[in-house]
Amino acid sequence: MQHARDRKIGVGSIVLGVLGELMITAGLLIGGYILWNVWWDSNQSAAVAEKSVADFQGELEPAPRQAAEIKTEGDPPPVTQAISGDTFGILIVPKWYGITNNAMPLKEGTTPAVLDQAAAGHYENTAMPGEIGNFSVAGHRRSHGNSFRRIDLLEKGDQVIVETKDTWYIYEVTGHEIVLPNQVEVIAPVPGKPNEQPTERMMTMTTCHSVTMGEWGNDHRWVTHSKFVGWMDRADGMPEQVLNDPEVK
Amino acid sequence: MYAALFRLLPGPIWLKIIWTLLILAAVVYALFTWVYPWASDTFMDFDPNMGG
Repeated sequence: MQHARDRKIGVGSIVLGVLGELMITAGLLIGGYILWNVWWDSNQSAAVAEKSVADFQGELEPAPRQAAEIKTEGDPPPVTQAISGDTFGILIVPKWYGITNNAMPLKEGTTPAVLDQAAAGHYENTAMPGEIGNFSVAGHRRSHGNSFRRIDLLEKGDQVIVETKDTWYIYEVTGHEIVLPNQVEVIAPVPGKPNEQPTERMMTMTTCHSVTMGEWGNDHRWVTHSKFVGWMDRADGMPEQVLNDPEVK
Repeated sequence: MYAALFRLLPGPIWLKIIWTLLILAAVVYALFTWVYPWASDTFMDFDPNMGG
C-alpha cells in the first residue's frame, strides 16, 4: 500500500478524519458511562447494601423459622430514633423476590451518602416504623443499586415489611401516585393533607420516575403509599411472606 | 489520529498491540474509578427525594 501513502492528503480530510474519530470516542465514552451506571456502579452499591444487611442481621438472634402470628391490638413496639446514616432495620418487599433486590438496609436520612449505598433512606422528621403518622422512605430507581426499581409492580394489598432488631412491621400497599418532585405533601403525616393531624399508621416510598422515560428519568416521583396492618415479634418467628423468600435460609 | 498514535508506539507490531491493550485498560480503569463517579455526581440528578 506504499503508493496510497504517497498520495497527497488534503487538510480537509485530516480534519474530518480527526473529527470522526473524536465523535466515535465520545460515543464510546457515553456508552461506557451507561455501562458503568447500570452495571458496575449498581453492583458496587448492591454489594455495600448486602454487607449492611448482613452486619445488621449478624448482631441479632436469628428469628425462628416458623410463621409468626400477626398482632393488631394495641400499640406496636416503638422504634428508637436512629442516628443519621445508621442502619436501624431492613426493608423487605416480598413482591420483588426473584426479580430484584428485595431486602435492603433501612438507614436514617435521605442524603446521597445514604441512598447511594443502595439503601432505603428514612426521611428525618417523619414517623418511625409502626408509629402513627407517615413513615416515609426514599430509594433510587435506576442508579446506585436500583433499590426501588420495580416499585411499579406494587399493587394494592402487596406487603411491605420492616424488620427491626425485635419486631416485624407489616404494611400493605394502598395505591400509588405520580407527582412532581416538589409535592412534598405526599410524605406529610396524613399523606396529601399537610395540615391534618394523623390518626393512622401510614408508610410512603418515594423514588424517581419520568412520564416520558419511565425508570430512566427523574422529572417526577413515583410515590407508593401503604397502611400498617400489624406486627410480629421476632421471637415468635417470621412473616409467612419472608419464610417463602428463597434467599432466607 | 489513532493511526498516528499507533505509529508512535515503540517496538514491532506485536509490542504495539500489547501497548494498545495496556493503555486501553488504564483508560477504562481511570474512567470507572474517577471520571464516571465524578460525572455522575456532577451532571446526573438521581435524587429520589421529595422537595429535591
